[in-house]
Amino acid sequence: MRVETIRAAGSRPAHIRHDDLISAKGVSVVMARQLVLQNIDLSISKGSFVSLIGPSGCGKSTLLKVLAGLVNPTSGNVSIAGLSPVEATRKRMIGLVFQDANLLPWKNAVDNASMLLGIADRSLSRADLRACGHEMLELVGLGDSAHKRPHELSGGMRQRVAIARALALDPAVLLMDEPFGALDAITRDAMGQSLLEIWQRTGKTIVLVTHSIDEAIHLSRHVHVMGIKPGRITGSLDIGLPYPRDLSLEEDPQFVRLLVQLRTMLRASHQPGGAS
Amino acid sequence: MSDQPVSNLSESRPASSWGAVTGSWLPAAILLLATIVVWEAVVRIFAISAFIIPAPSEIAQSLIAQWGALMQATLVTAGEILFGFLVSIVVGIAIALVIVRFDWLGRALYPLVVLFQNVPKVALAPIFILWFGYGLAPKIGLILVIAFFPVTLSMLAGMQSVDRSLLSLMHSVGASPTQILFRIRVPHSLPNLMAGIKIAATLSVIGAIVGEFAGASDGLGYVIQFASTQLDTALVFAALLLVSVLGIAFYYAAEVLERIIVPWAPKFSHA
Repeated sequence: MRVETIRAAGSRPAHIRHDDLISAKGVSVVMARQLVLQNIDLSISKGSFVSLIGPSGCGKSTLLKVLAGLVNPTSGNVSIAGLSPVEATRKRMIGLVFQDANLLPWKNAVDNASMLLGIADRSLSRADLRACGHEMLELVGLGDSAHKRPHELSGGMRQRVAIARALALDPAVLLMDEPFGALDAITRDAMGQSLLEIWQRTGKTIVLVTHSIDEAIHLSRHVHVMGIKPGRITGSLDIGLPYPRDLSLEEDPQFVRLLVQLRTMLRASHQPGGAS
Repeated sequence: MSDQPVSNLSESRPASSWGAVTGSWLPAAILLLATIVVWEAVVRIFAISAFIIPAPSEIAQSLIAQWGALMQATLVTAGEILFGFLVSIVVGIAIALVIVRFDWLGRALYPLVVLFQNVPKVALAPIFILWFGYGLAPKIGLILVIAFFPVTLSMLAGMQSVDRSLLSLMHSVGASPTQILFRIRVPHSLPNLMAGIKIAATLSVIGAIVGEFAGASDGLGYVIQFASTQLDTALVFAALLLVSVLGIAFYYAAEVLERIIVPWAPKFSHA
């Protein structure tokens, strides 16, 4: 390995630290006779911000779905605070944000923000849900658009509502699958900055799937690089930059060094790996 | 549907709304008027017999002369259409819900519904008369078999086109199939359903008239049949005119309903 911070997934020490909130051990997924994920080992400590980056088809979204309990691993084992992902889901420990905000067009922003919470906890009254929805919209900076319908909101605002909807569950983990992938560059920067602020205020553990190298370095504490054929973790990189971070980070020589390093790792990950 | 850009225009530029309305309706109105004038002229110039093609003026005379009887027949037919239309909506929605909610039953039911759609249902009219007599029932039955299908199909399409990641979100909080059905699938299907209901409105009119053709002692279909045996073609046309007015009325009633039920539908909410 050329870069000392790169550790091959297979040779990674299989220790589980007690502050690990999420741990995946030897997770493989076979779908339609294709090995989508091979022997994934992952440990994410509580309150961390981790990005998964890799070429299309590397199974990064599938890995996120495994963590969310939406896809069952063919082999291996995932635990979230000692629970299986499905159990964690039942305890509202997992908040999901996808590339498409998927807001309900017949509900306004507040009701969209509290929609999942209402389903997760049927004991809450309408007023409780509204109050929570308002609070979450406030948190994502949409306090004054509470009564707007989705079609009256911009793409970035819709995605903020989607984040508010996930946060309303008060989950331990926020799993985000290319949440800013459909936004323009400027909105994307602003959303990243907001996400960092939300992260620092709430202390959630965030796992972000992205295909943007900048975004991964800018936001996360650790980046895992994934490769294709089969989908696997080919390397990991610690982003040692101190928080709080802002856009001036891009002028930091350390940022540039990490950028080059990550790009090199990503290029290597485009090569199909032989069956190990 | 065609008036949608008009209402958008009138919202953004209230001053020119009248211009927009006349702008969109004027060409059609002119063409209609021209057709009537040419029709009248051709019939008069070539002295075409009234029982082959009556002139518009003769149709109007017939309409006025038979006004009372025609209104009574219109009322009867309108009642059949309304009743049959509502039954079609209810049955159509119920079938769609059953197909989506109960997987096994759905797989049994759906192919049969599609198969039944290929039966020429107009041909069922005599059988329905045989079974249900000459009253309201055979007409309702006929409207139902003709009009429920677009309702079922459009609602199914709407319920099944829910985004997969939205379903993932619902699963991520442990939503039950019933919760997903009523909180997501049903409201999501409403714009599609309304499109199906508008088709059903038009088909209901056809169902009622066919039902009356097959056997009735009242209604506009009966008037059309009776008048044509009497070679009173002007009366046939007068009744046809009223049937068309009924069709338009039901269609626009469905359109108004759509605006009330799904004001958030994509067709209304584009910027």
